[in-house]
This record gives sequence, structure tokens and C-alpha cells, in this order.
Amino acid sequence: MKKNIWINLGFQAGAFLLALLITTLILIFAGAPPLKAYGSILSGAFGSQKNLIAVLISWSPLLLTTAGVLITFAAGLWNIGIEGQMTLGAIFATWGLRLFQDTNVSPALIIAIGLLFGMAGGALWAALAGALKTFGGVNEIFGGLGLNFVATALTIYLVFGPWKRPGVGSMSGTKPFDEKLWLSTLPGTALSPWGIGLSILAVIVVFILLRGTYFGLKLKAVGKNMRSAFMLGVPTWQYSMFAFLLCGAFAGLAGAIQVEAVYHRLLPNISNGYGFLGLLVAMLINYQAIWVIPIAFFFAALNVGSIQLQIVHKMDSSFAGVLQDLLVLLILLGQGARERLLKKA
Amino acid sequence: MKVELRNIHKRFGKVHASNDIALTIPAGTIQGILGENGAGKSTLMKILSGFIQADSGEILLDDRQVSIKSPADAIQLGIGMLHQDPLDFPPMRLVDNFLLGHAGGLFPNHKEVAWDIQKLNAQFGFALDPEAYVDSLTVGERQQLEILRLLWLGARVLILDEPTTGISASQKTKLFETLRKLAEQGKTIIFVSHKLEDVDVLCHKVAVLTAGKLMGEMNPPFDQKKLVELMFGKEISLGERYSAAAEGATLTLRDLAVEDARLQLSNVNLELRAGEVVGLAGMEGSGQGLFIRACCGLLRPVHGKVTLNHLDLTGKSYHVYKQNGATFLPASRMEEGLVPGLTLTEHFILAEETQGVFINQERGLVLAEERIRSFNIRGTPTSVVESLSGGNQQRALLALLRTPLSLILLEHPTRGLDIESAIYIWGKLKERCKQGSSIVFASSDLEELLQYSDRVIVFYSGKSTPPLDARSLTAGKLGELIGGAGWDEWETEQSA
Amino acid sequence: MRKLFPRLAALALALMLVLSACGQAPAATEAPAAAPAATEAAPSEPFVFGVILIGARNDKGYSQAHYEAGLYVEQKIPGAKMLYLENVFSGSPSYPGQTTSQLASQLVDQGAKLIVFNSDDMKDEALKFAKENPNIYVIGASDDWTWKDGKTYTPSPNQIDIMGRMEYGKMMAGCAAALTSKTGKIGYLGPLINDETRRLAASAYLGAKHCWTEMLGKDASELQFKVTWIGFWFNIPGVTADPTQVADDFYNSGYDVVISGIDTTENIVEAKKMHDAGKEVWALPYDFKDNCNVAPDVCLGVPYFNWGPAYLATMKTAIDGTWQEGFQWNGPDWADINNPDTSAVGFVKGDALSAENSAKIDEFIAKLAGGLDLWTGPINLQDGTNYIADGKAATDAEVWYLPQLLEGMEGQSVPSN
Repeated sequence: MKKNIWINLGFQAGAFLLALLITTLILIFAGAPPLKAYGSILSGAFGSQKNLIAVLISWSPLLLTTAGVLITFAAGLWNIGIEGQMTLGAIFATWGLRLFQDTNVSPALIIAIGLLFGMAGGALWAALAGALKTFGGVNEIFGGLGLNFVATALTIYLVFGPWKRPGVGSMSGTKPFDEKLWLSTLPGTALSPWGIGLSILAVIVVFILLRGTYFGLKLKAVGKNMRSAFMLGVPTWQYSMFAFLLCGAFAGLAGAIQVEAVYHRLLPNISNGYGFLGLLVAMLINYQAIWVIPIAFFFAALNVGSIQLQIVHKMDSSFAGVLQDLLVLLILLGQGARERLLKKA
Repeated sequence: MKVELRNIHKRFGKVHASNDIALTIPAGTIQGILGENGAGKSTLMKILSGFIQADSGEILLDDRQVSIKSPADAIQLGIGMLHQDPLDFPPMRLVDNFLLGHAGGLFPNHKEVAWDIQKLNAQFGFALDPEAYVDSLTVGERQQLEILRLLWLGARVLILDEPTTGISASQKTKLFETLRKLAEQGKTIIFVSHKLEDVDVLCHKVAVLTAGKLMGEMNPPFDQKKLVELMFGKEISLGERYSAAAEGATLTLRDLAVEDARLQLSNVNLELRAGEVVGLAGMEGSGQGLFIRACCGLLRPVHGKVTLNHLDLTGKSYHVYKQNGATFLPASRMEEGLVPGLTLTEHFILAEETQGVFINQERGLVLAEERIRSFNIRGTPTSVVESLSGGNQQRALLALLRTPLSLILLEHPTRGLDIESAIYIWGKLKERCKQGSSIVFASSDLEELLQYSDRVIVFYSGKSTPPLDARSLTAGKLGELIGGAGWDEWETEQSA
Repeated sequence: MRKLFPRLAALALALMLVLSACGQAPAATEAPAAAPAATEAAPSEPFVFGVILIGARNDKGYSQAHYEAGLYVEQKIPGAKMLYLENVFSGSPSYPGQTTSQLASQLVDQGAKLIVFNSDDMKDEALKFAKENPNIYVIGASDDWTWKDGKTYTPSPNQIDIMGRMEYGKMMAGCAAALTSKTGKIGYLGPLINDETRRLAASAYLGAKHCWTEMLGKDASELQFKVTWIGFWFNIPGVTADPTQVADDFYNSGYDVVISGIDTTENIVEAKKMHDAGKEVWALPYDFKDNCNVAPDVCLGVPYFNWGPAYLATMKTAIDGTWQEGFQWNGPDWADINNPDTSAVGFVKGDALSAENSAKIDEFIAKLAGGLDLWTGPINLQDGTNYIADGKAATDAEVWYLPQLLEGMEGQSVPSN
């Protein structure tokens, strides 16, 4: 067992180094001095308090989506629909705020209602994917993709239709909410301590659920072998559904935080790829909840830090994405290679 | 083709799975390889068929030294292996299954392949439909398919790993016929098994492996006692037949009718007494599966009534049956019993009653250690179940059963297990009977059925006999019934 | 099998993401536009300014016009250095979770003393940034916060809002379209709907109507002018309507000239395809002066922004400390509307414009220079209500805040409910 862990780590490190090597080649090819470029990324992510805060802002939704997909992965489900679930969270949160913004309800309560609405919206959308799978036999990957499209269409309809800014028809989003409905942030920043706190809490909850509870164990059993789990007495489809609901609620919360703390309005694309990125993080950490916090932080830092590549080295900002995707790709390939080698050995 | 192995060594970590094996098999021979589970039979065969490579040693085919680096190399050299779980690709047609392993040819000719399949069918008296889907085949039919496929690919040496597990008696007869025919054609057959009786009737010579070593070879007539000694290092006798049937019905079936897409089963009646063992005999897919699933809510009966411990549970789900003390251990252990990736401890925790939200890991560990000891499972609490051998997986499944239980349903409880494990498993089951559990088990092993059942129900293409007293049955009679002969007395009764 | 599928799916997903990211990458491998070598003779502290572009710096449209204005400033002010960020829009996948003001801060970290927010999409963020960073100068292109006559006047001492009077450029485009069209059907490929886009579409219509009736002597009712909005300044797949599709629909339903109101060149690209297939169609792209080069054989001309002079003047005040908060709405230099150093708005005629019509356009431009104001009443809104009374000239505010399209134009005025 112990030896396996070391071999495992070795492969992860190898994959990481290989990814670094390839990205370095890309950098050289793009005409940016690699060391300086990496330096720029580092200083872009950690060079100032502002940058660090930007990293934390990006970290929070990533923690939530990763925590969410760890649950669905544990249940053997590919919740590709997480983007849509996050979007629905944003839509529901916006809805909640709109319902109460002109009432006498205290702003703090409205904000809380918005977050709860967001969780409900995400869970609802996930439940749809779950129902499609459980009762309709539609693979959750296809159901989720479809629901992602529907979620985007719904946002566009709302932004251009019923919730448009007066006299404006633009993808830029709905009218920003009154400042009193913003989730409180650290002064002068868009960083919400509440958002970060809830996100970390979500990761802890998932960690405990998967590690030490009957729920987590049964979920894992369902994920690894549904038939056997059923024979062992686990109500299997209910557990799949639970997994969807929980993941959807986390994603919905992420969407709600984007609305209440970051953008203060609903706009298309509000999920911003955090859901897919969460899937990548989950794969990268081999579904081990304990690694979510650092690796999601690393990804967030890459996201923010690589903006400097464009500013300083005039490179495309998608570089961060290239590095992230390469990492995941190589680590998955590394895992495959490791399994082959271990089998032969 | 003549096959010769010289000084083959293979180690997996500390385990010396093949220890200086030297074996010569002349062309046209049916060579038996005997050994208990974990003796190194599969390793040796995997080396020969290219799935793994030996650490050292030589392989000679027709006196020419060869190097086999992959299954593709092996088949190119004319060596084909039939696995214990045939490695086919379920959701595809037979023709496609053939084409998949076929080297070369960008545009496969389906028609030609289908024609080839028909020709091979005719040669061996099989009835495989080239257009049928592989997942619709029984285990026996898949085996036939795999043999045809390997021959079609040009195999001159066929390796069969435990081929008689999971197939019906008549399929076994047919298989043996086929193998003899192939041997007459000069093909070399390597028959890996732990069943003495199979080796006895089929093989031209036998090699016995124990703990990675070749213990000895033997030519017919085989001395069973000696073979067992070679295998286990001691003599083992089958346990006494034991009947603990007491009064009081555990399970009652009244005019039960169940069906699936292929088969209908009707007019089934049974009153299962506490502590009783009922064996279900019949060829694969004759209705035992339907029967056993109807007994525990996995199949909803179309007609009739199921009563468990005097509770009418007709139409209720498996989980309701489970709550009322019934449990089912299906034949496919890793698909419908154990959860690969989870440890033994996790299995024991799952199988026990849920207590609160958080798992008491320490108690789980204690439980696991205790069960591992009492069920003699070769593994540790942190072993994942797929790392266990077949026999140990079966022991683990039994160890998962809660206490008390009123009804235990099993499919092929000892399939693929060596004699020692099989005896052990039955010992544990009989203990359950003493505690009042009733057992219903399906098996294709006639001796097992006769040995352990109090009563036997025979199935033949959707028909079933009433429960027959096992003491009044003989292997011959049972074989006849399984084959569809001698049913007249119940035909009239059922139609009446 | 069961295990293989998720693994394959994972690989496929990751591969897909890599490929999609690489698909965007080529922009990175292009050599950055060479900065002038003036830096060596620079004063002790070079002036660094940041430009936040809504689109790509080479979009052959709005963002490229801003980018080139930046290069112009670099050329004119010794030692000035431009930093920029591209594709900054609400929910841009390039900057997950980053608000525009956060991105502006990143530019400040690299030494920028002044930030240009180049689009109305960043309007709120520009104001917010100006408020939070009183020591940094802010230019809000196309914003109206600091316009005292504006509806949303908000004092913001470190901010200057700049817009070009593109109304004139659009009138010229409308005129060229009306003069050339054989079917009398002009399509307008609109971006999103707001004050700015309404007034620009309306200006194009006014130019078209003027030339249709006054120069060709035709009846106004025979002129069809239809606006189709895509929902944003450029195509965002899956979010906006596809401008390529919209342009095709125009051309395929008898509209033989399409005027672009969006940041990118789909209308002229499609016109070229149709032209090559034998159709008689034309296009007028927008925003960037060289855009006729995309397809000269179908280009009637391009109205464009020339932000350089205004940026230069404004940045000079930032350097010498004479900065004055305020709003500028800069018109063309009527002496030479295409003078790169003086004119904020220009119009370059295209090869597809006939000699006869070219002369008429020159005549029309001369009339505008001479004081012709097409925003003179009577002007009715699309719903028939009178907006500008007969004989009265519209005020700047009335033009800027046009609430609807005009009578005679087809298309949505405000998004439907």
C-alpha cells in the first residue's frame, strides 16, 4: 500500500513536470521568456494584496463546484450539467432578490433568501438531470449537456426579456442590484468573507461525508457498483438522486455568490466555466477531497496570475486554461500508464 | 502443435507464481492442468498466451523457440486462450465480435465472416446465430463463440481456463465432444481445472500445480486419491450429508407465475421449512433464475403469492424482503454481490445495520477482523475485494450475511472454487441451517445438488418439477430430468 | 468496459478543453505590433496607460480602432507605453470571476496611470473603478457619466468620457446604401439595443432617407430599412444571435445592402460570399478604417472612429496636470473628415461604390459640412409619436437618448417584454 502511494506521487509529479515542460515549450514558441513568464504568473497571483484577493474570489466558486462534483463522482455520476446548475443558482438568486428588493424585508434577510434560492435552483436543475437518468434512462452526461444549453437559453431570455434593463437589450446583463443587496465584501474588494467561508465549509462537509459517514460509504458503493450496492440493501436510485441534489445545491450556491458578491446582477455565462474547471480539479486530485483546497487554489492562482502574461508578454490569456488542461490530461494519462505498469509488474 | 515449456519462472512481489515449470505437451493431446485456487495455473497459462511475460524460461512451439509478448503475438503463433470470464464485448453482434480481434482489413466483409461462422457451427454442431447479440448468449454459448473465434483466427493450441464452471451438463458434454474432435484434428488442448471428475473423463494426461510448482504428472487411469493428495498435500473427504429440516414454513409460494422476455414459469408451489435446503437443478436459463429472483422480490410475479415468515410480501421490493430476513447471493460475485474498490471492512460496515450518521471506524475494524478470522478469508481488513481470489470472495459474501436470517438464496455458491473452499462454504451454510435459516440454491453441479439438498426442484425450459426428495434421486435421474427426459408424470399434473 | 468509459470521457473532455484553448492561442503567437522606438529618448518617467478592450485588438472593428489609437498615442508622446487587455466583457470566459475593475487594477499594478475602458459594457465598472482609484485617470469611451446635460450625470473628477459623433458616419453609410441599393431594401446588422445603438441605426436611416428622396428623387415609402439585433457587440456563440446568419437572412430576402452596427465584419464577409456566387449585394462595415480591405469588391465604404486625437489630447492633460473632468462628443473635421490627426469620425469610400454615387456621397458630405442637420424635425418615433417638432433641430441630449427607432424603420426599438 505504502509503496503504491509513492509510485502514485511519482507519477503525479512526473505528469506535472511534463506539463510544465510542454507549457514552457509553448511559451518559448510564443516568444515569451519562460522564467520571466512564470515569474509574471506568480507575481500576478501573489504580488499584491489585490491580486491575492482576486485569486480568492476565483477560488470560492471553484471550491464549491469541485466539492459538488466530488459527491457526484463518488456516486459514479458525471455531472457535466454542473454549469447549468450554477447558472440556475444565479437565476434563482436573482429571482429571490428581485422578489424582495422592493419590500421592507431587511437586506440581510433578502441576501440570505437569495443564497437559499440559489441552492434550491441548482438542486432543482440537478434533480432534473437525475430524474432524466433515473426515470428516463438518459445518461447524465447528455442530460446535463442539454440542461446546460437550456440554462443558458433561459438566462438570455430573462436578460433580454422580462428582467432587462429599461430601454436596453444587451447581453451585458440585468440592472445591477442596489448596493444594500450586495453580499458584504472586504472593504474595497469584491471578496466576500461569507462566500469564502461557505465554500470552505462545503469542502469540509464533503470531506466528512465521504470519509466518515454511512451516507458517504453507501454513495461510494452505489458509485462503484450499483447492482452490488442494491443487493447490499442500499436504496440506489435515491442515493444517486441525493448526490445530484447535493451537488446542485453547491453549484447553485456558487451561482448565487457570483450574483450577490461578484457581478451584482445576472448575466449570460455567469457560470464562467467554473463547473467544468471543478470537474478537472476533481479528476486531477483523483477524487480525494483532502486535496480540493490546495489544488483549487492553485487553479485559481493560475487563472488570475496568467492575466499578467497578456499584459506583460502580450500572450493570449487562455494560457492558464492550456496549462490546466494539459495538467489534467497528462495526469490522467499518467494514471493509465501507472495502472498498466503496475499490472505488468 | 507441440508445446514445450522450459524452466519458466514468474514472481509477483514475494509470490513465486511460477517456479521452474517444465512441461511438454505433444500435438493432439488434451493436457489437464490441476491445482487449487492460487496454485499458479492461471499465471502459467497467461504466460503462454502472452498476457504476461515470464521472468525467465523458454517456450518452444514445434521445437522452435518463440517469444510471446502479447496476446496478439500468441494468436499469431496459433495459441488462443479462453478465459474463465470470456472476454467478449457484450453489446455487439457475433460477427462484429469476430471482426474486432481480426488483424488487417480496413473494410471487413460481414457476409464472409457470417458464412465462416456458419461453417464452423456445422463442423462442431453449434447453433450460434452470427447476427445475434453477444449479451443475449448464455455463458455456455459465449464459450462456444469464443472457441469458434479462436479457431477462426487460426489457433492450433487452445487453452481453456475452468471452462466447465457456469455451463449446463449438456453444454459440458458438447464442449468435451468438441475438444476431443479438435484433439483428433491434431490441435493441442490445455484444460485448466480443479474438477477432478472433468479431468478424469477428458484428459490424456494431467499435470498438478501447487504453490507455483509442478508437483507431478499422471497418465490415465487417474488415481483420484493421488491427485487430491498432490493438489492439497493431504486427503480430503466430502462432509456428511446433513439434514436439519425442522417444522414451520419460512417461505411459501402459491401458484406462482413469473416471466421475463425469454421464459415463463408458472404454477410453482413450495413450502420451505425452516432449516431446509432446496436445490434448484437445470440447464442455465431454464427458469431457476426466475424462480430464485421471484423468491426475494427482484422479480414481480405475474400471478400467485409469496409469503415470507407468514407475511404476504407479494410484489414488494427486494429491500422489503431483506428487512424481513431474506437475502440473495447471485452467481456473479463481483457484479451483484461485492463492490470492487471498497475494502472488506467497508463491506462489513455496509452490510450491517446503519447506526447514526457517522461510521465508527474502530468497531468496523474489529468486526472485519473477527469475520475474516471466523470465515478464514485470506485478506486483511483493508484489502479491496477485487484483490481476493474467487474462493475468498465467496467466503466474504457469506461473511456479509447478517444474523439471524430466515432465508438465504444462492446461485452457484461454489462455482469456480476448489474443493477445500467448497466444503468450507457448505460448512458455513449448514451452520446457518442449524440456526434455522432456510436455503435455496441453484447449481449445475449434480453432486453438489445431491450432496447438500433436502429437496430438489428441477427446471427444464420454463417447467419445474415439484420439490423432490433428494434421497430418492440419483445423479442419473437428475441428469435425465435436466436434459428434458422423464417429465411425463408432471406434464399431466401441470396441465390438469 | 464499465471503468473504461468514464476514463475515456475524462480524456475526451480534457482534450476538448485543450483544443478549444489552443484554438484561441494563435493570437498569442503573432508577433506583437512593434512599438515605436521613441522610448529611448523618453523623459525620466514614461507615461504608462492601460486600455481595456471589449473585443480582440485585431478584431477589424471597434477594439482594433481603440488599439490603434493607443499605438498613435505611443507614437506621439515620447516614452508613452500602452498596456492592454483583450476580450473583457461581462462573463468573458478569458477571465473567470474577474470583474473589469479588478482587471484594471492589474494594469495599474504594471504601472498604468490612466485606464481606458473602451465600451459601454464596462460603464458601471469604469465609474466604480474611478471612484475607488482617485489617483488614476479614467477615460470612459462612449460613456456619459460626466456629461452635465446627461441623464445620469455623476461627478467623477478623475474621469473623462469620450465619444465620437458617429451619427455623421452612419448618415454617410446610409446614404451610400440608399444610392446603391437596387431593391430599395437596406438591412442594418444591429448589436445590442441601447441609446447609442438606437441613435446610430436611426442616423443611418436618416442618411439613407435623405439621399433616397433628395438625391434620387424617390418616394420615402419605397425605402425599406430593417434593423435586426444580435444582442451584443459581437458574436458569442450560444449567447447572441449569429451575425453571419443574420447577414445571410438579409441578403437572401432581398436586402441587397447591409450596414453593420456591430464590432466585427460578418456582413462584408457574407456579402463577399454572395457576390462570388453571383448575387448583386453590397456591405458597409463599421468601426475600423481599413475594413473595406476585407472584401473591396462589395464594400461601399466604412464609417470609422479615430480615437487617437482625443486620446492624445486627454492624456497630455493627464501628464501636464491640466486634466478636467468632462464629456467630449467629438465630430469630424469637416475640412478633411479622414485627417488622422484632427477628425474623430471618418468615412472611407469603398471600391464597389460607383463613380457616380461616389460623387453624390462627396456632395452629401459637403452638405453636412455646410450645416445640413438631418436631426431636424419633423421626426417621429417608431410608434408614430412626434419626437422633434417641425423645423426644430434636436438637441444633443435628444439625439443621445433616442428612446425608440424612427418612424419608417423596421425592427425592435426596445426589447420586447
